[in-house]
Amino acid sequence: MPAPLAGKRILDLGALCRKRPHSLAISMAAKLCAGFGAKVWRPAPTSGEPLAVAPPILPNGNSALDMFLNRDKLPGKAAASYDAAIGDEASLAEHASGVPIGVRISVFGPGEDPSVTELSLLALTGLLGLVGTAEGPPTRLAGHQLAYAAGLAACTGLLAAFHAGGGEMVDVSLFDVGVWLNWKAAIGILLLGTGPERDGPRNHWMTVAAVDGFVALVYQEKDWPLLREMVGNDRLDDPRFATMASRGEHRAALLAEIGPWFRSRTRAEITAAAQRRRIPIGPVKWPAELLRDPQHLARGFLEANGMPCLPLVWNGRRLAREPSHAA
Amino acid sequence: MPHDGQSSFGHPLTGIRVIDLGWITAGAGTSTLLRDLGADVIKIEGPGAPDPFRRWEGAEPGTDWWNRSPFYNATNRGKRSLCLDLKHPRGRAALEALLECADVLVENYRRGVLASLGLEPAVLLRRFPRLVIASISSQGEDGPDRDMVSYGSTLEATGGLAALTGVGDQPVITGRDINYPDQVVCLFASGAIIAALLERRCTGRGAHLDLSQRELTTFLLGEEMIAAAEGVPSRRRGNIDPVEPDEQLLREGNEWRVAWPGGTAPVRDPASLVSAPEFARSGAIQQSPDGIPVKGFPFRLTRHPISAAEVCHPLGADNRAVLREAGFDDGQIESLEEAGVIASTPGSNRP
Repeated sequence: MPAPLAGKRILDLGALCRKRPHSLAISMAAKLCAGFGAKVWRPAPTSGEPLAVAPPILPNGNSALDMFLNRDKLPGKAAASYDAAIGDEASLAEHASGVPIGVRISVFGPGEDPSVTELSLLALTGLLGLVGTAEGPPTRLAGHQLAYAAGLAACTGLLAAFHAGGGEMVDVSLFDVGVWLNWKAAIGILLLGTGPERDGPRNHWMTVAAVDGFVALVYQEKDWPLLREMVGNDRLDDPRFATMASRGEHRAALLAEIGPWFRSRTRAEITAAAQRRRIPIGPVKWPAELLRDPQHLARGFLEANGMPCLPLVWNGRRLAREPSHAA
Repeated sequence: MPHDGQSSFGHPLTGIRVIDLGWITAGAGTSTLLRDLGADVIKIEGPGAPDPFRRWEGAEPGTDWWNRSPFYNATNRGKRSLCLDLKHPRGRAALEALLECADVLVENYRRGVLASLGLEPAVLLRRFPRLVIASISSQGEDGPDRDMVSYGSTLEATGGLAALTGVGDQPVITGRDINYPDQVVCLFASGAIIAALLERRCTGRGAHLDLSQRELTTFLLGEEMIAAAEGVPSRRRGNIDPVEPDEQLLREGNEWRVAWPGGTAPVRDPASLVSAPEFARSGAIQQSPDGIPVKGFPFRLTRHPISAAEVCHPLGADNRAVLREAGFDDGQIESLEEAGVIASTPGSNRP
């Protein structure tokens, strides 16, 4: 069974960081290292593991967040030495001197670490301002997306450092990761002079109500004739709906014409009709529905307790959990 | 011959060669991160099947539009460009010659396309056992939804993110300007590829990595999945963070602002983002040597600094150099040109 980080000892300083986005990013990066076969130690402060009381809280009083991020880690700081440490500037300075590879999470870069929250980071990077409906407020992406994305970046930087032979400091700025995710907005305004707007006329994708929930109405210009045929409403031949731009300008009118077709069908019926025409419409699914989702079940992606495996199939198999960590 | 690529100088992936069959963001962006880390990336596009990003906004008709798409150029800087028709038997033979010297193959074609070209991962791994093949797809290589057509925002819906995002009764998707799952998969896929290169050092064998973007979307909501399995109802929390109860999103005229006990932050639109002082210091957007803003980096390395040191190569600009390295002589290359197997313009001249 592949275990590319087998034998590597990682120090996860996420529980010792004061700032929550940093802590979440570090915890995610270290979780991925454990998934790739490293042994991960996670020391906690004397007050205990901070994520142990973080929502969502399970009926037994435990934290689902703590379970997701930390299940496969060892408590304390028991190894004689470490190959890499993941932390913020302060925790690395205090706990990881002499560790050959450091991964340092900050807001803007080393030494630029002001107070932030997850929401404020989304605001500063432009991601908050672009998500949501035009008439509503800017809207946060659910969960801990920016912190987790920083964790993915941190893990990739760490793997690169291992590949280079060690002796590295990997710097991950939460702001940089957010702007990197939002690069199309920045490049658009810098090179084309126009940037996207929240739910603006360029952004013609939306969720639409069905009998039993919502579907994501996602399509390209080439799909429009097929979408029009699928809905079967002659009023969609109106010039207001002739181009992507004009459909964006007249979105309310468009929704009035296509909405009844969607509202009279289930998500499954809509998805089947769209997929027959290769239109990329799909159902909005809740976590509880995903637990019994045929695709996730067929690929063995979720454990019985809902824990997602590493989203990777390696030569046809899921990576095994480190045996000494398995419950 | 393929090699372990262990570098004592240069960048972490110096000496690693990547064959990039990636399109738009998910595939092409993954290869770009490998390029940033020092790999030699050869992007292969067919004359009849160029990367669709070449036809995006800003690719003006009446020009060599295929070399002028801002979004394509921002994503694919520094890669060598080989315009090769993989539907032609001689094109596939040339690809196989290139794979003899390659370490990594990245692809995000629609499932079934690679097999239709006779390039199934299992077949490739038998012939090139040290090759790391990264297949990035919306659903994965198998399962009942394997062939489901999805863009990034479709996956936000089917992966659970949309249901939990929004401030009212309606779920929210990010749309084509963000297409979040297409961005975030690059961060994970590039790491998985480096992990497979590390594993190869120990085993001498490559791997086929099957990366489902839908699974990654769900994975990034892992705590919600665990809670749902225990019967805890999932909630669409809007902008409320239970651990920041005093945080507020405030409207001030046409502007919005986040305020919390530790500070305040503006909700930036794209114009205010690029004029922010932190943006100028950020590594996330870089300038290529010709002064054009391009996509930058999500991390920095102190010992092996990375930079956007090369411009985006025009379509087919490296046809001859790449094929010569693979053992083709000038006569064979000219024959491929005459047969239209290699080219430097798309088959269709319309953006």
